[in-house]
Order: sequence, then C-alpha cells, then structure tokens
Amino acid sequence: MTRYHYPAIPESEVTPRELFEQRRRFLKGSLKSGAALGVAAAMPGLLLSPTARAWQETLADQLEGELPSRSLAGEEALTDKTDVTTYNNFYEFGTRKSDPEVYAHRLVTDPWSVSIEGEVEKPGSFALEDILAGQELEERIYRLRCVEAWSMVIPWIGFPLAELLKRHGPPSRAKYVVFESILDPDNLRGQRRSIIDWPYREALRIDEAMHPLTLMAVGMYGEKMPNQNGAPIRLVVPWKYGFKSIKSVVRIRLVEERPTTSWIEQNPDEYGFYANVNPEVDHPRWSQGRERRIGESGRRETLMFNGYADEVAELYAGMDLTRHF
Amino acid sequence: MLDASQRILAFRLLVMLAGSLPAAWLAWQWFFGDLGAVPAEAVVHFTGRTGLILLLVTIAFSPAFRLTGWVGIMIARRQMGLWAFFWLVAHMLAWMGLDQFWDWPWIRREMVDLPYIRYGAAALLLLVPLALTSFRYTQKAMGFSAWHWLHRLIYVSAALGVTHLWILTRADYRMPMLFAAVLAALVVFRVVDAAIHRR
Repeated sequence: MTRYHYPAIPESEVTPRELFEQRRRFLKGSLKSGAALGVAAAMPGLLLSPTARAWQETLADQLEGELPSRSLAGEEALTDKTDVTTYNNFYEFGTRKSDPEVYAHRLVTDPWSVSIEGEVEKPGSFALEDILAGQELEERIYRLRCVEAWSMVIPWIGFPLAELLKRHGPPSRAKYVVFESILDPDNLRGQRRSIIDWPYREALRIDEAMHPLTLMAVGMYGEKMPNQNGAPIRLVVPWKYGFKSIKSVVRIRLVEERPTTSWIEQNPDEYGFYANVNPEVDHPRWSQGRERRIGESGRRETLMFNGYADEVAELYAGMDLTRHF
Repeated sequence: MLDASQRILAFRLLVMLAGSLPAAWLAWQWFFGDLGAVPAEAVVHFTGRTGLILLLVTIAFSPAFRLTGWVGIMIARRQMGLWAFFWLVAHMLAWMGLDQFWDWPWIRREMVDLPYIRYGAAALLLLVPLALTSFRYTQKAMGFSAWHWLHRLIYVSAALGVTHLWILTRADYRMPMLFAAVLAALVVFRVVDAAIHRR
C-alpha cells in the first residue's frame, strides 16, 4: 500500500494572511455589489432595504477581535459545548430536550430586528446590525440554573441590556421591561400547539433589567448564537431560573404596570414573577436544594441567587422571597 | 402451520422478546453514547415508560382473551406482568442510583416531600405482592378467586403510575394523557364486560 505524503509547500508559496483576507474582503464586496446590481435590475424596490445578511457580517467582524472576558462562575469548568447545544428547553421547537437541536434550522434569523417601544424616548424597530453597530461585545462566563434542577456553565458573548436601554433614552416612568420572542408557527413547530400562549413573554423589574449582570447575548463559545440557544439575540439573567432568560427576542417594551409572563399564565401556582434561584423555596412539585451540573456525576448544592448573591441580593432587600418567588 | 401448543410457545417467546428487547436497545444506546447530554435521565425516563407500557399491555391481555377466546394469551399474561415489574424495579433503581447517586438522606427526603415520588413508590409497592404470588403453586394455594381479587391491584398500581407521570410532567401533557386514555379504555371494557356476564 502506498503511503500518503503531505505535499511540502515552501514558505514562499504560502499566501500571507493579510493578503488572503484582503482578497476575501474584495471578493465579498464585489459579490455583494454585483448581486445588488442584479437584484436592483430585477426588483428596483428592493434597493431601499438593507442587505439581508448585514447583522451576521457586523457580528462576524466583532467576533474576529479579541474580546474582553470575565468569569463569574469561579473555578467551575465550562459545560461541554455539545451538551449546551443538544440539551435545551426551547418549546418553540418541541418539548423534548433534543427537539431544539433537531428543528432549530427552521428559525429564520435573516433579517432580524428588535422593536423597542413603550415608555422610551426613541421607540421604533431597529435592525440587529444597527443595534450591534458600535456596541462593544464581551465574554461573560455565567452559571445557568434551570428550574428543572439542572445547570450549566456557559461563556456568553454579549453586552449589558442597560447599554441598549440607555441608548433609547433613560427609562423614566417605566418600572418594568417586557420581552417577547419570535412568533412564527409556520417554521416553529412547537407554536402550532398552544401549550403556552405564544409568543413567549418574559419580564424584569427595571432595576433588574439595568443591573450590570443582565446581558443581551448574541453568541457563546466564541461564536454567534446557535439557533437552538436563542439566536440571534437573547436575554441572560444569571441569578434567575433559565426560563427568565428569553430567547430570540423581537420586542422590548417598557411599561409602568407589572406585566404577566408566559409561565405565570401557564401555571400561576408554580411560577412567580421573580423566579430567582433559591434553594430554600422549592418548586411545588420538586425540590430546588440541589442541582445536576450537566456533564458531572453527583449533585451540587444550589447556591442562593445562583451564586450571585453578592451582586444582586440588595435588589430584594426587605422582600419576603418565599412569597415573591 | 403451527399446532396449538406450538402457537402458545411462539406467543410466549414473543412476550419474552417484548420484555427483554428494550433492554438490548437501551444497552446499545448507552454503549454508543446516543442517550444525549444526560444519559442518567434518559435511562430513568426509558425504564419508567417501558414499565408503564408493559403494565398496560398486561392489563390488555384479559380483554384480548375475552375478544379472541385464545387461551395462549392467558398463559403468557403472568410473564408479561413480571416483565412490567422488572422494568419498574429497574426504573426505581435507576432513579436511586443514576439520579440520586444513592444519597439516602436525599432519597428519603424526596420520598417524603414530593408527591410524584410517593405515587410512583406506591404503584411499585402494590405490584410486589402480585409478583410474589405469580407462581403457579401460590395461585393454587390461594385459590383461584382470591388470587384474582388480589391481582386486580394491577389496576390501582397502573392508575398510580399514570398519576405519577402526570404530576411530574411540565406543560406538555400528550404522553400522560395517552397513558390515561388507554388505562381508562381498559377499565371501561372490564366493567362493561363484567356487567354483561353477570346478567
């Protein structure tokens, strides 16, 4: 049997990285303008709309650079990326943990815009590329604790929600922020059954929303957000049960009255507005004192506020957390 | 063509396969790492579901006999019931070992605190006397009608099992509803059948 030999390439024949990347940029640029010309010739009206892949290019450029990274999960090891992308609660795709990975390719993220409305100075619908433009991204390593008593450690990439809200004017009268996920029953098979009153809705108190730990995430593990994890943009609130961290956000509304949320509507006895991780307050049907860290054997003790008590406990000073669960 | 006793033997082999093949499937999945991010949870769910399905199949044997009159069904019924018991014991052991890691104080706490664990434990406990009296000589020693009375506990156990599944379900009730519907249909058949034959 002949053995395969790798061809030896002299150093001089290797294209320098800068040249290679210039060439890619040139090709991308000319492809875009060429395609735009063709499209414009066929459908002149489309010229006015932004290029469909714009947010992905903006994000790709941002992810190329070195991002500042901060771990807020102590020495705990990152959960295996395969587990984070194959074990999901994302009922829009089905209620089995494996459903999101199987069906998430049907999620249409191209183009994507987020409507920011209610008690804000500058309401409107904003293309994701405009939200991302000029926005510093950073990596934050957080624990994620699901209400079903399992947990992960995930390196998110995103920016504080506070920065987005501030850009639209200081939330003056607003006391709560409501978030809404995408509604698209044609592509999201889970939405064809009304186990939840779609679209999925979540909400935070304004001080929770403005808290520096509260993140809008657009990526994880150094890459853009996989569809099954809530592409293209999702909320991450590390001290609350996972269901508060709403995925695939299309609407952010600032309001004065405390809103209801999807899980409160689904089962008001079992899900509260705050849903702070709390080992002392059990879910009516299962205990919250311990958790299964995905990828580990054995159980871990669940930490108060998921280990973020130093940062967030003051938000709830004086509140009876058994009643406001 | 098979003669009568060969057909009975073939049916008993079929029941044996129905009871044992899921184990081969589970072992295969485990070996090739196809059980997902949390294999322990997959094993707990699979053993419980298989046990409950086989329990309902065991209950369905009696209506099947009523409808077909073929004695082979009644001969294989005890074996089917024992397979259901086997899977539900496996379910309990999987929960204690793979889910709770033999942490006895916690296992005790969960059994005291959590209704769905209590229902599940009760369902399994009720099956223990049925499994212990499943031998032919105990059947004879107890007398046929006493044995039959005792073994009606299988309906109570199945109802507790479906309740256990129902109350641990989060939001999507398709599976527990299906189990409940099948059990209800079997009970209705049994009651109507008894009423007709009493007349």
